[in-house]
Amino acid sequence: MTGNTTPGARLTRRTFTLGAVGALSALALTACGGSGTPAASSSPAATAAAATSAPATGTSLTMWVDAERSPALKNIVAKFKAEKGIDVKLVVKDFAAVRDDFITQAPTGKGPDVLVGPHDWLGKLVQNGVVAPVQLGDKAKDFAESSIKAVTYDGQTYAVPYSIENVALIRNTALAPEAKATLDEVLAEGKKAVAAGDAKFPFLVGLDPKQADPYHLYPLQTSMGAPVFAQNADGSYDASALALGNEGGKKFAQLLTDLGDKGSKVLNSNITGDIAKEKFLAGESPYFLTGPWNVPDIAAKGIKFAVDPLPTAGDKPAQPFIGVNGFFISAKSTNALAANEFVVNYLSQPEAQDELFKVGGRPPALTASFEKAASDPVVKAFGEIGANGVPMPAVPAMDAVWADWGGTELNLIKGKEADPAAAWTKMAANIEKKIAGSK
Amino acid sequence: MSTPTTKATATAVPANKASFGQWFKAKGWRHLVAIAATAFSIFPLLYVLSAALNPTGTMAGASSLFTEFGTGNFQELFANQERPFGRWFVNTLVIGTVTSAATVFLGAMAAYAFSRMRFTGRRVGLLTLLLLQMFPQLLTVVAIFLLLNFIGDIIPALGLGSQLGLIMVYLGGALGVNTYLMYGFFNTVPTSLDESARIDGASHVQVFFQIIMPLVTPILAVVGLLAFIGISSEFVIASVVLTDPDSQTLAVGLYSYVAQQRSENWGVFAAGAVLAAIPVMTLFLFLQRYITSGLTAGGVKG
Amino acid sequence: MVEIEVKPEVSLALPGGRKPSKNGRGPDSLGGILAKIILLGITDAVAAFVLFQLALSAEWLIFGISLLTTMAINWIYLRRGGLPAKYLAPGVIFLMVFQVFVMIFSTYIAFTNYGDGHNSSKEDAIASIQLSASERVPDSPQFPTSVLERNGSYFLLVTTPEGEAKLGGAEEPLHTVTPSATGPTGAAAGVEGYGTLDFATLLQHQAEITSLSVPISANPEDGSLKTADGSTSYVYTPKLKYDANADTFTDTATGVVYSDDGRGSFVAADGTHLNTGWKVNVGLENFERAFTDPNLQGPLLKVIAWTFGFAILSVATTFALGLFLAITFNKADLKGKKFYRILMILPYAFPAFLSGLVWSGLLNPEFGFINNALLGGAQIPWLTDPVLSKVSVLMVNLWLGYPYMFLVCTGALQSLPEDVDEAARMDGAGAWKIFTAIKLPLLLVSLAPLLIASFAFNFNNFNVIFMLTGGGPRFDGTTFDIGSTDILITMVYKIAFGTGTGRDYGLASALAILIFIIVAAVSALSFKKTKALEDLN
Repeated sequence: MTGNTTPGARLTRRTFTLGAVGALSALALTACGGSGTPAASSSPAATAAAATSAPATGTSLTMWVDAERSPALKNIVAKFKAEKGIDVKLVVKDFAAVRDDFITQAPTGKGPDVLVGPHDWLGKLVQNGVVAPVQLGDKAKDFAESSIKAVTYDGQTYAVPYSIENVALIRNTALAPEAKATLDEVLAEGKKAVAAGDAKFPFLVGLDPKQADPYHLYPLQTSMGAPVFAQNADGSYDASALALGNEGGKKFAQLLTDLGDKGSKVLNSNITGDIAKEKFLAGESPYFLTGPWNVPDIAAKGIKFAVDPLPTAGDKPAQPFIGVNGFFISAKSTNALAANEFVVNYLSQPEAQDELFKVGGRPPALTASFEKAASDPVVKAFGEIGANGVPMPAVPAMDAVWADWGGTELNLIKGKEADPAAAWTKMAANIEKKIAGSK
Repeated sequence: MSTPTTKATATAVPANKASFGQWFKAKGWRHLVAIAATAFSIFPLLYVLSAALNPTGTMAGASSLFTEFGTGNFQELFANQERPFGRWFVNTLVIGTVTSAATVFLGAMAAYAFSRMRFTGRRVGLLTLLLLQMFPQLLTVVAIFLLLNFIGDIIPALGLGSQLGLIMVYLGGALGVNTYLMYGFFNTVPTSLDESARIDGASHVQVFFQIIMPLVTPILAVVGLLAFIGISSEFVIASVVLTDPDSQTLAVGLYSYVAQQRSENWGVFAAGAVLAAIPVMTLFLFLQRYITSGLTAGGVKG
Repeated sequence: MVEIEVKPEVSLALPGGRKPSKNGRGPDSLGGILAKIILLGITDAVAAFVLFQLALSAEWLIFGISLLTTMAINWIYLRRGGLPAKYLAPGVIFLMVFQVFVMIFSTYIAFTNYGDGHNSSKEDAIASIQLSASERVPDSPQFPTSVLERNGSYFLLVTTPEGEAKLGGAEEPLHTVTPSATGPTGAAAGVEGYGTLDFATLLQHQAEITSLSVPISANPEDGSLKTADGSTSYVYTPKLKYDANADTFTDTATGVVYSDDGRGSFVAADGTHLNTGWKVNVGLENFERAFTDPNLQGPLLKVIAWTFGFAILSVATTFALGLFLAITFNKADLKGKKFYRILMILPYAFPAFLSGLVWSGLLNPEFGFINNALLGGAQIPWLTDPVLSKVSVLMVNLWLGYPYMFLVCTGALQSLPEDVDEAARMDGAGAWKIFTAIKLPLLLVSLAPLLIASFAFNFNNFNVIFMLTGGGPRFDGTTFDIGSTDILITMVYKIAFGTGTGRDYGLASALAILIFIIVAAVSALSFKKTKALEDLN
């Protein structure tokens, strides 16, 4: 509770003045934590009209949320209702449909006021003019820097972030007792475990048999010096400067071939995410490159594990993509003020972010909440790796980029490309063309 | 699961060795075919069942079946307040039943007209019905959204989020293939039957309800079943129209368990799919005697 | 069997008069007339309501169409004769509204650039660009704010970091005032002569307050104060300025002018677009793209060939298996028949995308059941080899589709008169002969239209392809995401919804229409070739 004594005092005064506000709303209002927004306190200082302020205002917000997050928001919604008299209707939407449904529905005026989503939707949302910028002001400092960067597009902040997720290297400590820093060492350790008959796979990462997985393999790629786009000084992407096809990228292409079907078979496109998880749970591999979403099952299985920094394949740091989830406000909201009040002043509160963490297990974006959550070493480890990460690009052309990128990685892993570097260069040229086409 | 039972039935019969050859020629081979076909049908579904019972929530592992056992997925399915599985179940039953009943009725009326009446535009009309259904609706769902959005402004009860609105959209496809199915069957009912009824003074309505309908029960049952199955697995339109979780159907609701990349819960989804198949099977069980009771058994020939 | 015959007679005891009919029209029973009046009454009541609503919202075109429809319905049911229309009207009305109208509407969309980036009206786009272009002045302070009101205009009262209270309105730059009241944190909360808005009142005037922009000085270049939540405000300067007269946006930093290009975007001289565009009519452009887009051009022939191959083979295999099984089980005294039937329709009762996923697991070359258990550890690339992937898709589609054919054939077999069978058998015809010479032709008469419909369905069978192979393996030598198992609809889906420009509803609709024309033409032709229509006359 960040609640200071002033709102309470102010409240008492008002309660007396009006003499009409019941004990119930007094209770509710005293419970007010707020982030101590000064203006929230200044408005009720007004006169009689304030009588209607705490009880229902007749205003209600609609928020699209997926089934997982919905229960975590119940408390903060109740608090908002008690303090501001505004109902927030949580509409549970099927996650896959949220982005496109929002884009089609917002212009008809049927869309929600607020929605939850990952930051890499931003490009599309901005392109369609359906999200409004969110001004965090001094609160921006309360969030992890990377999360604020992620929800910034073309210099504007568009969301209040609440979680950061990224991959890490999970190590079965029974099979590989020590953390290793480079991919070579990791693979050597893995092969040792296989040679000793303790494991069947030196290293696991789930790949899509149709698309490989540029997301999971990205840290290896960045460690060889081939980020997808060049980054501006402020950390944002320069979508006009594709860096994917540079020298490092070509080396990475060679690495994929070396580790693929025609090489050491460490990367195997037949191992899907599900199979990889199954094998790791069965103790068949010392290493599993994955994200926090698989941790609960690994823990439930009783496997002793550690979360290691991502191994490097080159001389640069291995930076994973980070995905930031946040709350967006519709540009077509007729309740913009209420929506801003809720998103900026309430969803940024530690208690809201704490609870979202409890449900999803994804490290909170709010530093205060993260520090609380980081008492769990797993969260801490993922968080530290994420601090080093870069946001997934949000440019609208990303859908096409993923498809080409994945397709080429798949061919490289399957050993179908005689000249990996040439295949990689061709892919980069292709992607460049598509991005230019969408501009 | 059920294969052992199938085998038992199959092997138990040829106890009488003397007539084995005869038995085999008459029925035995049918059992063999049946076993092969049912095995082909159900073995992929065993993986669904296995995933439903496996608490780790993986799906496509496919390397081993029933490695772990638990009812956790089923419990989660019913315990989750945000995803009211029970409601979805009821919604699917209601929407499916209403739509398939209306589909059968509308289709039968149209088939009656096409089969028993001669009018200009009949051939073209029949052909058009079929051709219209070839429009790739998948690519134009946005038009359905905009249409319902507009309808909702005029009649809120039929707009977005309304089950009635969804039923209406489904009924847009009530004719088409169904009419053809029924039309073919209606034609096999001799016209002499309704003619004699007309001579006895029956109205066209009476002929329709009292003479034709009872005789075409098999095809009504088939169309009803097909419509029900189609609707219970229809996802694209339902997910656009039904926005509130309390009003969603099984297909839409269950999909939300696997919609989010990297945190899909295939276990719960599979458990839901297994339960979702029950109404279809029950309906089939119920309709089966109508489907296979043909013209042959009745007094039609006389 | 008996109850089927009896039931309708009992339940539908319409007291039909036994008068001989006149002019070919059956005598209407009292119940029939009543039912007709009630149903028509309800329809007209609903129609009246709809018409009233339409009139209120001034949708005159739709009003006219609805009025005509209502009148047509009444005419159909009130006049004598015209019997076919009476039976066809209910289904046809639904068909018109939810299929034909949707098609017409899609056609309209096909002539626009509706899609990602061109999503709404120009006003919306301008508002949205302005919203995004308004940027907070870097390192400017955040101001605790109260919203005040006087004579219907709104003002912002802010407290500077130095503790100074300042007031300003839309027409009145910020100036220092002496606050008459302060909030609990010491920020100014009221000024003599102005009313301070409380939160509830703020909510009632959200639109005015969030759009209120208070210049911080007489010089507009210095920026203006805005508040989003009524309690904090910031100084913003616009990155882009809209000039309503010239209909252009100007970048305030670089001076670059973006003007309407007539195609739903603001474009600078160097060709850069502003992020947000709007929906405009583009004429035949989407159709032109369908014929000139290199995405579509390259492997188009291969894709079309495979689309036909897939659709025809799918119909052939599912029908053959379904019919064979239906005949196999069409024996009255076969034990366990019901049980077999139930198990066999199971694939049809599961969501297709779940099945697709299960099958892609089963067909995994290294870990899948097919290779591992059935084929003893062979490494057959079921889904990644160009030829085998086609076989796999067909096999899975057979699995998904034969229950339908099985059901339909089981139903249709009932319509075959049994005496034909008996008579032929007496003539000494063998089972196969009876089947090919008598049963199959009879069945085909009623099933041919269904086979054509099934062809059309498979022609557009998106699910099985997308879930199983995603269209892959990709063609070599093309830069586009199109592969060996792609059929037209999956290719169109990827192109219209998946590539660089995002979801392009205009292009998707145009291609949908073209696909429709192809499949409808082929189907109509095959109708002519079959005996199906001969039977119609």
